[in-house]
Amino acid sequence: MNAPLFQAKDYKSELKPIWCPGCGDFGVLQGLYRALSAIGRPPHEVAFISGIGCSSRIPGYTTAYGFNTVHGRSLPIAQGVKLANPELLVVIAGGDGDGFSIGGGHVAHAVRRNIDLTYLVMDNQVYGLTKGQLSPTSPKGLETVTSPLGSLEDPINPLLYMLAYGAGFVAQATPADMPGMSALIEEAIRYPGFSFVNIQSPCVTFGEDEQQLKAHKGKMKTLASLGHDSTNQLAAMDLARAYGKELYTGVFYKNPNPPPTYESLVKLRQAEQSKKARARHQILEAYLQK
Amino acid sequence: MTRQQQTPSIDFTILTLKDALDLAVLIEEEARDRYEELSAQLVLHRTPGAAAFFAKMVRIEELHRKQLIEQRHKAFGDAPVGVRREMIFDVEAPGYDEVRMNMTTRQALETALKSEEKAHAFFVSVLHNVQNPEVRKLFEELRDEEVEHQELVKAELAKLPPGDPLERFDVGDGPAPQ
Amino acid sequence: MLDDLILGMAGAGGDGVVSAGESLLSAASSEGYHALMTKSFGSQIRGGESSCRVRLSTKKVLNPGGALDVMVALNWEDFFKFGAELPLSVNTVLIYEEKAGPPPETLAARGVVPKELVPVGITELTKKSAGSDKAKTSVVLGLLSGWFGIPSEAITRGLKKKFGNKGEGLLEANEKALAVGIDYAKAHPLQAPHVIAKPAGTPGSKMLCDGNDMCAAGALFAGVKFFGGYPITPSTEVMQTLTREIWKYGGTVLQCEDEIAGLGATVGASFAGKKSMSATSGPGMDLKTEILGLATIAELPLVLLNVQRGGPSTGLPTKPEQGDLFQAAFSGHGDVLRPVLAPTDVEDTFRTTVECFNIAEQFQTPVILLSDQEIAQRKEAVDLIDTSKMEIIERRVPTEAELAAKPYARFALTESGVSPITHPGLKGGTYLAAGIEHNEKGDPTSSGAMHAKMNAKRFRKLEPLKKRADLFEVQGNPNAALGLIAWGSTAGVAREAVQLAKAEGHDVKLLVPYLLYPIAEQVYANFFESLKHGLIVELSHQGQLYRILRMFTEVPKGVRSFTRDGANPFQPIELVKTLVELKGLPS
Ligand SMILES: Cc1ncc(C[n+]2csc(CCOP(=O)(O)OP(=O)(O)O)c2C)c(N)n1
Ligand code: SF4
Ligand SMILES: [Mg+2]
Repeated sequence: MNAPLFQAKDYKSELKPIWCPGCGDFGVLQGLYRALSAIGRPPHEVAFISGIGCSSRIPGYTTAYGFNTVHGRSLPIAQGVKLANPELLVVIAGGDGDGFSIGGGHVAHAVRRNIDLTYLVMDNQVYGLTKGQLSPTSPKGLETVTSPLGSLEDPINPLLYMLAYGAGFVAQATPADMPGMSALIEEAIRYPGFSFVNIQSPCVTFGEDEQQLKAHKGKMKTLASLGHDSTNQLAAMDLARAYGKELYTGVFYKNPNPPPTYESLVKLRQAEQSKKARARHQILEAYLQK
Repeated sequence: MTRQQQTPSIDFTILTLKDALDLAVLIEEEARDRYEELSAQLVLHRTPGAAAFFAKMVRIEELHRKQLIEQRHKAFGDAPVGVRREMIFDVEAPGYDEVRMNMTTRQALETALKSEEKAHAFFVSVLHNVQNPEVRKLFEELRDEEVEHQELVKAELAKLPPGDPLERFDVGDGPAPQ
Repeated sequence: MLDDLILGMAGAGGDGVVSAGESLLSAASSEGYHALMTKSFGSQIRGGESSCRVRLSTKKVLNPGGALDVMVALNWEDFFKFGAELPLSVNTVLIYEEKAGPPPETLAARGVVPKELVPVGITELTKKSAGSDKAKTSVVLGLLSGWFGIPSEAITRGLKKKFGNKGEGLLEANEKALAVGIDYAKAHPLQAPHVIAKPAGTPGSKMLCDGNDMCAAGALFAGVKFFGGYPITPSTEVMQTLTREIWKYGGTVLQCEDEIAGLGATVGASFAGKKSMSATSGPGMDLKTEILGLATIAELPLVLLNVQRGGPSTGLPTKPEQGDLFQAAFSGHGDVLRPVLAPTDVEDTFRTTVECFNIAEQFQTPVILLSDQEIAQRKEAVDLIDTSKMEIIERRVPTEAELAAKPYARFALTESGVSPITHPGLKGGTYLAAGIEHNEKGDPTSSGAMHAKMNAKRFRKLEPLKKRADLFEVQGNPNAALGLIAWGSTAGVAREAVQLAKAEGHDVKLLVPYLLYPIAEQVYANFFESLKHGLIVELSHQGQLYRILRMFTEVPKGVRSFTRDGANPFQPIELVKTLVELKGLPS
């Protein structure tokens, strides 16, 4: 067997996570190290983009190039990174609030452009960093500091949302199943196009007991064990409806025939147009009025 | 090509003694690293008692690791390693969700105890698949060692003063909002 | 013979007067004239009133000019809607559609009686010659050619270009209409002929372009590789041009879902190491603010064009105003110092754009390029710009060898304040870029001491800008007691005012800052020193540069803010008058 070029520990930075002891994000980070090592790209060829939130601190804990941006904007920023340098491996991570509330408007467009990006949402159904307010994935009725009498609204279903927008790769994982989670992250990264993994990553400080890893261990079910065919988009949508009730892990949908990525089309266009380039000092001659 | 690599898993039915020994080393290494991480988390979050106990566990796991490395070197010298850390997860290492800010030393010991039990269960379960008699022998020894470790932790637990009656309450400040 | 001629045309959108103005401009420029055209429309999406002004000259055109030498009104109602945008004087020749009847009372009520009123049966002439009234503006072009000496061959060439492949009959009809117009003019000479002199330049040596064209061209020249944006008037043409051109040079344009995403993708591309830009106008600037702050603290170069339009909110989307200077300099929370540069005409939009990229890359900062609707959308015929001596600055990226030599600190507290910048893909240079405050290495920190050092660094690095003499135009006698300060599109008016004043024997000096922010205190202090009276001329309600100058410099009492709200252009002559009036007052 070949020794891997990079081991999980090569992706671990010296910065110590500030997360609360027991936070689900520690496991996610560990899974990510493993997935990156399995992929084997050197850390300096990885760009890791996030928004703001506890979860969004994650790029700093890796040895990759990181960009811990502003709340909700990781998706457009990551698209700029990837289009500027398609050779990079670009991973995005953030929270449920970052991704589906303030950044929600960007999701459809990231999906439809089909740029080869991997988006990991660390879904804890709460706003961790701002201390426990309602999030767009909080279950209806949840009592939080901003919903002391219980929330009146239904949560977003991130899985259905992504499937409906047409994402080519949609999966769900939990750090309660570390090997499963890191394999899913790896598979998502390998998928040539926009890929999404919803990671149920509990908040120990503000989360409910039934959302913790111990509860996950009791109730998680792999989609494979249900006999799900991950090339069947409709079946995937049907199963995704159970978000918030069941904890299904695995690949909901993976497009068996991935369409060309946006950046590959960009490359073709650049190649075709480059013949028409003018020398720098002749650019203005295009405006001469003959 | 690195791109083709998949996260590998272990087939215990064909595991060789060399790989089994290396695996055992990795299991100890994983536990050591985890205790180190958890100890650091607890230092950062001002939970010194539990942090100190986890630091002690770092030393213990490191000792075990060294012993296993020695055993491996005696039998196989510098022959290349055929297994990787990524093949295992949380065999003897406590889960990330086992720790909390302000946890007591007693809770830390209980965490360690649970981890030793987990490791024991691991060896029991894989022994069903192991066929190589030398590997069987090694894993049986390791399994039994886990029982010894459990006893040690239990003895430590017994030495602790009785539990704090308010142990289950978290009276610390909440996290700083950002 | 005149060496300068200002023409105006107004009609219903369906008449095509703007299109006729473009033909005139293109004909004049191909002959080697300097020329400038602005256009103005009613608020209807199509078919409302429309107008244009064309200024032709044998010398460089400084601004759209004041009162018109010639005005062509196809009907009175539409003409009057443009008010001060189409000012007449006692020297104007007013040509109008005979059918519309004599000028209504309202014209006299404006207090000016044009020199010559020339009714022409334009519609009738068109119908007779072309067999349709669809070629009306070609009759007008013929009249203008015949009366004012604009070469008819060039207009004919223009008609061929425009109608040549639009289907049988259209070109022929327009050629006939043009000929009729020329003949009519010959047969009915004006009382006082107004013929423009032949240009000195060789035919074919002029570029025909607007400010947005020059911004796009400047960006390509500087080596832009990424543009992220969202359409908004009057900046959209920059994205439209780049999305046609940028691929040739290995770049990409991403039309995003909104302005936040547009500038977000831009800052992402910059993080990845590429020269990046975005363009927008007022409402889009509001949204881009959060990403600007991110680029400032993460010290990522980018250029953001704001083509100012009237505000606030939707405001006057198609009219110029200089009301966004406060926003460009100050928007966003926190202590921010962000360079703001303003081009003053179409031609120097090119140079200023290149300058913005240079400053962005050299100092690792977002730079605001503050244009306005007038410069951005007025078409000009100008000499081909000599780019051979223009410098292009790239960001200072350490080599892999340098990175291997010692631990990399992305935000090292250097003396200049500029630190070496790496980008993903570069071995040995990994770091965490972030919106959160950081230490030299890039690790997040909440230390007040480190925050103070980083703020100081981010301010310090821009100090050299204030000493760059080439970012300021200072004209005239340094000891003059009268002076003008103007920026952006208003600078062109001030430049002409200084010439007029000189012709009238007044000694007036001029300061035009291209760099609007940070304020170069010394430049202003030097300029103010000899002044007894001065005007800071701005097209905005508040006079934002004046107010910022009061914040950073000692503005002498005799120097006043001279403002007018957007969409109400200044005329050079009124600046001269005001200065002369001031001259008599104690300072
Ligand atoms: C524009 C803006 N609005 C609000 C905030 C405050 N804020 C920071 S993180 C956050 C929500 C975090 O929740 P989530 O994205 O779910 O991440 P988590 O902390 O749960 O991992 C909010 C509201 C901000 N930083 N920026
Ligand atoms: S507040 Fe919740 S999400 Fe944030 S670090 Fe703590 S446990 Fe994790
Ligand atoms: Mg959350």
